[in-house]
Amino acid sequence: MTKEIKKFECPYCGETLGSQDDLKGHVFKTHKGRGLPTPEGRIKLTVNKAEFTFQVEPNWTLYYLIHDKIGLTGAKQFCDRGACGSCTMIVDGKPVLSCMMLAIECDGKNVETVEGIASDGHPLIESYVKNHAMQCGYCTPGFVVASKALLDGNTDPTEEEIMEALSGNLCRCSTYPQHPIAVKEAAAKLRAAK
Amino acid sequence: MNKHPEDQSARMLETFDNLVADKYPAKEFKYVGQKVPRRIDGLAKASGQAEYTMDVQLPGMLYMRLLMSPYAHAKILKMDTSRAEKLPGVRYILRWDDPEVMKSEIIGKTAGFFGIDRALGGAAHMEGELVGAAIAADTEQIAEEALSLLDIEWEERPFMLDPVAASEPGTPLTFPERYIDGNHWNRGAYDELLHGDMKKGFAEADKVVEFTIKRTANTWVGPERPCGVWKWNGDYAEVWLKHQRVHLSKSRISEWFGGIPMSKIEVHSPYQGASFGGWSQIDWNLGPLYCAALVSKRTGRPVKYVFTRREDFFGGSMDEGTYQVKVGFKNDGTITAVEAVLYHVNAIWPVFSPVLHLHDNTRIKNLRGQCKCVWVNKGHTVPTRCEMLPPVLTFTLVMDRVAAELGMDPMEVAFKNDGAMGHDMEWLNNEKKQRGFPVRDSLKECIDIGKAEFKWDESWHKPGARKLPTGRLHGVGFTWTHEWEDSSGGSEFAIRVERTDGTLSLLAQGADNGVDAEGAYCQIAADELGFRLEDVNYNPHQYRGFYRMTPDSSTNMSVNGWSVRHASRILKNQILEYASNPSSASQRGSFQPAFPDTKPEDLDIKDSVIFLKSDPTRRMSIADFVRLAGESGPFSTDEFLGTRVGWSEPLFALGYHTQYGAYNPANPRPRFCRQAHFMEIEVDTETGEIFVTRVVNVNDVGKVINRMSCEGQQYGGSIMGVSRAKYEEVVHDPVTGVILNGNLLDYKISTIKDMGPINTQLVETGMGYGPYGLIGIGEDIATVVPGLLAPAVYNAIGKWIYDFPITPSRVLKALGKE
Amino acid sequence: MKEFKHFNAYTTDEAVALLGRYGDRACVIAGGTDLLGKMKDAILPAYPEALVNIKTIPGLSYIKESDGMLAIGALTLLSDIAQSSLIRSRYFALAEAAARTASPHIRNMGTIAGNLCQDIRCWYYRNQNNRFSCLRKKGGRCYAIKGDNRYHSIFGGSVSGGCFAVHPSDAAPALIAMDAKIKTSSRTIDVADFFEVKPIKTTVLKPDEIVTEIQVPAPSANTKSYFLKFALRKSIDFPIVNCAVRVTFEGEKVSNARICLNAVHVVPYRAVEAEKAVIGKKINEAVAEEAGKAAVAAAKPLEHNKYMVAVARTLVKRALLACAGS
Repeated sequence: MTKEIKKFECPYCGETLGSQDDLKGHVFKTHKGRGLPTPEGRIKLTVNKAEFTFQVEPNWTLYYLIHDKIGLTGAKQFCDRGACGSCTMIVDGKPVLSCMMLAIECDGKNVETVEGIASDGHPLIESYVKNHAMQCGYCTPGFVVASKALLDGNTDPTEEEIMEALSGNLCRCSTYPQHPIAVKEAAAKLRAAK
Repeated sequence: MNKHPEDQSARMLETFDNLVADKYPAKEFKYVGQKVPRRIDGLAKASGQAEYTMDVQLPGMLYMRLLMSPYAHAKILKMDTSRAEKLPGVRYILRWDDPEVMKSEIIGKTAGFFGIDRALGGAAHMEGELVGAAIAADTEQIAEEALSLLDIEWEERPFMLDPVAASEPGTPLTFPERYIDGNHWNRGAYDELLHGDMKKGFAEADKVVEFTIKRTANTWVGPERPCGVWKWNGDYAEVWLKHQRVHLSKSRISEWFGGIPMSKIEVHSPYQGASFGGWSQIDWNLGPLYCAALVSKRTGRPVKYVFTRREDFFGGSMDEGTYQVKVGFKNDGTITAVEAVLYHVNAIWPVFSPVLHLHDNTRIKNLRGQCKCVWVNKGHTVPTRCEMLPPVLTFTLVMDRVAAELGMDPMEVAFKNDGAMGHDMEWLNNEKKQRGFPVRDSLKECIDIGKAEFKWDESWHKPGARKLPTGRLHGVGFTWTHEWEDSSGGSEFAIRVERTDGTLSLLAQGADNGVDAEGAYCQIAADELGFRLEDVNYNPHQYRGFYRMTPDSSTNMSVNGWSVRHASRILKNQILEYASNPSSASQRGSFQPAFPDTKPEDLDIKDSVIFLKSDPTRRMSIADFVRLAGESGPFSTDEFLGTRVGWSEPLFALGYHTQYGAYNPANPRPRFCRQAHFMEIEVDTETGEIFVTRVVNVNDVGKVINRMSCEGQQYGGSIMGVSRAKYEEVVHDPVTGVILNGNLLDYKISTIKDMGPINTQLVETGMGYGPYGLIGIGEDIATVVPGLLAPAVYNAIGKWIYDFPITPSRVLKALGKE
Repeated sequence: MKEFKHFNAYTTDEAVALLGRYGDRACVIAGGTDLLGKMKDAILPAYPEALVNIKTIPGLSYIKESDGMLAIGALTLLSDIAQSSLIRSRYFALAEAAARTASPHIRNMGTIAGNLCQDIRCWYYRNQNNRFSCLRKKGGRCYAIKGDNRYHSIFGGSVSGGCFAVHPSDAAPALIAMDAKIKTSSRTIDVADFFEVKPIKTTVLKPDEIVTEIQVPAPSANTKSYFLKFALRKSIDFPIVNCAVRVTFEGEKVSNARICLNAVHVVPYRAVEAEKAVIGKKINEAVAEEAGKAAVAAAKPLEHNKYMVAVARTLVKRALLACAGS
């Protein structure tokens, strides 16, 4: 049952080498024309439809990668402990907390941030602006992303469904009453556009 | 200049009496009072492009973190940094006993934390205080790890958490450094308000009741934590700062390092993730900034410091304390005397008496309020939306207790006592008349609207008398007070007509924290000048050098509104002057005027178009007006190889205004405007849970400018208020003084699901001291609503709960069901 | 967070092997919503040297019912359980518990097994930088006893150690009420036997053992289940008290009852006395009330958590009444 984990094992022939460099040399020599095995921490990520390849440290959260390294600063850190929703991003279609996800575990994933949603011209943006669904604005990107995820799967949400979808997003300025109004407006626009 | 009778520019130069009604209000409004979208900041915020100080990253930047004290009261005896220094990526460790840190005594001059006037102290007086060391490293994570590698010898000292206990003689000193000349038994500032004759007042009463209120620590929970960036450009300081008072920050910074000229300091004030007053009222945030400046100087790299969420629990709201209240009243609901003593925790300001609101807007003649500030080993308390919490809480509980004792409708009690400064409504109405205000009964108007919207008559009942089919007990509550805004100070605002396209730029320093005051200023300017709103803009997060009163949410709309208006009127005069007679302003030559053979008073502007009043077909858009190019126009923007420079006449005006505060002892402001709030709850008597099902807010703001922003302050304030009343408290371990819930899971603020609908109503009586008769709103609702939960609970269960927050545990205890 | 090694496990064997190699110096990471919080706050005396990611093991996320058993893969998301029409209709308490857990975001990340394996919630244990090195961290004592214990156990401390921290899972009592079993990489045990109270340990899992499947026996006919959660806020919050109930009726009378409270004791608390109080009876207000009282008869509240007794009593009563259809 206990299988020895071989770190520098050649994926083509199974031979074990002593180091990454030795492994590189082996693959180059023995398996000419084949790609090198991916080093640890190498991830491919699609962010707002753009493809990236990153070398990440294990202790980087997805938030840190997107916010600090790529520089998409829309997502915010309000609590940094998974209790506020301000860091919300859509990963593989689901709204999640990027501050509680490790970047190294996001290989091959598809990430949508508020910037992508805005640049796609999603009607949520306009309806948020029109309805003053923000005050200081710090939590707003998290709400926009969570709302967008809701509308992706529900074209005509009720007020209750909207509140449920946004129930993990905290707003200290307490703009809450405006969000169902804005989301419903955006939903209507999306339906009309079809 | 003073050609027009409504000309305000002359007024600016007069000795200004700002305790009278607006003598020259505008007659028509197109944008003021309307619902307009968030034109200034909305798109940036919704699309994630708005930049906050937390988002700032500069090339080569270092990240700085400070050490948190694990003890409620302790001094650092020894600190060994060798292990921390060895951690790869650590670039500088600044110690509290560094000579330049030791001499930073100018930090905190006006409102220093606990009186320690230094950027980084060597002793902690609360758990979690940032003391001892500031570590700068390549990443935040490395800085954090380095902190854990500091080897520190602490001398633990005894600590106190309760203000009443801490003020007793013989208790350990919570802050010995403060009392170097001997013991004051932890007592800080003292404030007393005394009017009338207390003995007489209580003697006149038919009944006297006493009760004690306890409000535990609660805090602002600003979404963006304190942070800042310092960069030296040679000897120029460039700073990014999350701070509501940009001017305060800049003036402090100018005193550092032997003095930096104000003109060599650039302060960026990006969008701010809300402070609600909080720590922006004090210089706390500037201590770490000073450290960042030092480290930046010594490393040659920009330095950013960031507080963690835990570290943002370093202080709280100025309502924490124990209130002992005694009230005497007649059987008809007239209150004859109120006496209150507030043991106030760690208040950093000259404190406000707990009977202040009872003084400001009632006819009660005998009032005594004592505010005894006591220092305990917790964070300082500061105005947090807002400093009126203690007097408002006392006001609500006094008024509603009297009503309950007499079985009277609380609104009847309100009318019986409405007035100001011990005078009745006749006196107050006379004041309105004397000062040129409309004579309206603001309280009655607010109550009439609120009662109808809330359906009070069908909802109100005897305490404990209505059980719902679900088994829950139904309750309703009402409270009122004056609508306040206490802006006191000066403000300057500049407006420029852009040369190329004739749009307006409003220029003033910015410190946006979300109230869309900037939108309101644009509305005022647009209406005063006759421009289309889309042609008026204000870049809100750059420091333009024109001092504007911040934070706007502390109801500085009055002062800033006036200066925008003054600038607008001067500028309008200027435009019309130059449209009819440019050579009156020109430097060389004479030019064909845009409107020949006219006088400025013949012209007007509407929808960004200048036109002749008597023949509107003679018209020219502002855009065309400023584009009169070449030598034929006075506003030419032509430059051609520097040899032939076009004429340049700036269309620019500066307005300024000074407003006396409400508490100017020589001439206090009588309070004319009122607000009223209604709350409906259900109480689950088996679990103690309270459900707030409905709230109605009615605020007489005198004149609405930015309608949606006003409403935002109402529902936003209601939700924050309910959250404060139901859940919010900073919990300290009684044995060690350690904060147990310094995170957003255990310190609870409302989610979207936690409250029923809020009905917001705005009244406009025009009886405010601001332009057009406006008065502020930002602080009011969040301050008034918390106390309202208590009378609602009383109406539901027939028991008074005076301990806030009103948790299920306290409800069950009151019901005897624990 | 400090540095650590990270491994993606691609098979259960691989995960077990990695964990075996590291012993208690490695942690399993599934949803990560509990673990990363602990690491960010550095609450434990020792920081994990390595994380073993089991999300990369295929085939551990499923919901299927066959042969009289509902099988749920360990990595099944709470949101999938909450929205599963199968679980909603036949295992209601479990769906409801999952739906009431935390926030929508966390339900999209958190797994059912992770929810069961999550660490205790005690604000002394969880204070950052291991500020309180308590019993559960091999330290000297429990700080809640003399401290602020408003959310701590109302049924006394753990037998062996005297810890008063509560288990915070919403799903656990629902699964216990349904007589579920937990299948791991090495054995299958009753959910009720899954929890224990040891230093830095809340389950009986060995360092190199992971959960692979939750098994819930299909309910017999005329069985209803219910779940109630009491918390200060309507979302995000951990339970202060929760209660899961499963009742089987013969005619109008109760033939079988399972009542499980959680967040009231160091492990989920099966209210056996309350179960006895309803057997053979028709559930009405009075019977449910008696059951509620019986459920908390053994309560030994601390100084600040007496209210939890009243709440627990109430939730038992209401959950039973809900099963009875009122």
